[in-house]
Order: sequence, then structure tokens, then C-alpha cells
Amino acid sequence: MLDEALRHLVRGIVDNPEDVRVQEKSGRRGTSLNVSVNPEDMGRVIGRNGRTATALRTVIAAINSGRGVRIDFLDTTER
Amino acid sequence: MSEEQTLLDREGDAAADYLEGLLDIADLDGDIDIDVEGDRAMVSVLEVNPGDLKDLVGDDGEVLDALQELTRLAAARETGERSRLMLDIAGFRAAKRVALEEVAAAAVAEVQRTAAPLKLEPMNPFERKVVHDVVTAAGLVSESEGEEPNRRIVVRLP
Repeated sequence: MLDEALRHLVRGIVDNPEDVRVQEKSGRRGTSLNVSVNPEDMGRVIGRNGRTATALRTVIAAINSGRGVRIDFLDTTER
Repeated sequence: MSEEQTLLDREGDAAADYLEGLLDIADLDGDIDIDVEGDRAMVSVLEVNPGDLKDLVGDDGEVLDALQELTRLAAARETGERSRLMLDIAGFRAAKRVALEEVAAAAVAEVQRTAAPLKLEPMNPFERKVVHDVVTAAGLVSESEGEEPNRRIVVRLP
């Protein structure tokens, strides 16, 4: 569910929603999510001073009952 | 309908779609209400059952602020214009506004009594706007000083 929520939140704010991919990984340290976006949209999802990335992490943690989730941002060339 | 009105309506609709999608995925119940307040779109997510949406408000509204930020970006992508829409969830901002109006009214009374400037606690821009409106309506002067996040209002006689 977290990967789907993050995909929705990111797709809604980028210019190339079809390029957004989210992968969920569960490890010993809990859940982590890898998001990749079109390189043109990287600035969008990070935001000024990382403000948008922080907002995404805050909302995802909230719907994960307050448990923090690691979120890494990649551009599609790094996929 | 004016051009401005149409833009605010489009912002509100885009915001509602974005939020509705999130509620669906997270399996949360909420009714979305779109309104225009002054020159801003106001989008409210109302609880169906009390407490349903408390996680989306967060401690002192921190999740609400994050979601407002994202919702503005989603609305801006649809309209092509920067969005200043206000998001409220479970009546959090509405309740906060009432409490702030009381703080502002008490400050006004104090300054009228003592005639000395009064410095209030640091507040965010939304909170300062609410206080500023009450102070100005009472005929006093309200000025902000300091830098975020410690920016605060000083109330004084004109």
C-alpha cells in the first residue's frame, strides 16, 4: 500500500507521470521505498531545500502509522 | 464567472482528485469539500468518524502542512499557476483559528490597557495572518519581526 500511495503522490506533481516507478523493499531495518522519476522531474520531487522530499516522507510515515520509511530518489537513467 | 474564479475552481478540483486518490489507497474515509475563501481555494477533508484522519493531521498539524504543500504542487501542475490553496483536515485549522482569534483579542485588550507594545509567541504565516486580521480590525497595529521559524507579531497602539 505504501508504494502505491507514494506512486500516486509523486505522479500527481511531476510533468512525466508515466516515468514514475516505485519499488518497495522490506529489510531488517524496516520498509524502504525507491522512487525513480524522469531526470527533468528530479527538481520537482526534491523541491527547494529538499522541502518536497521531506513532505513526501512525512505523509508516507503518517499513513504507515507514524513509522518512518526510508525513501530514496533516483532518476530513470540510474534505474 | 471571472477568470480568477475559474482558476480557483480548477485548483480546488485538482486538489480534490489528488486527495481522494490518497484516501482511497490508504483506505481512509473522508468527505472532501471545496470552497473559495477570499482569493484562495479552500479544500477541507472532513472526518466521517471522529479520529479517522488524525494521522493525516499529525502532531500540531505537521502532516497536514506537508500534505498541503504536495496538494499545492498537484494543483499547480494542473493549472500551470502557483497555488496558494489552503487545506484543512478534520477541522484542525478551523479550531486553531478560533483559538488564535482568542489569543489576538486578549493581546488587543492588554495593549489597550497598558499602551505598551506586546510581543506574541512565534507563529507560522497562517497563524500570523489570523492574528493580524483581528488586531487590524480592532484598530491597532500588528507587525512581524524576526526570521522564520521564530517570526512573531508585535501588537502596538497606532
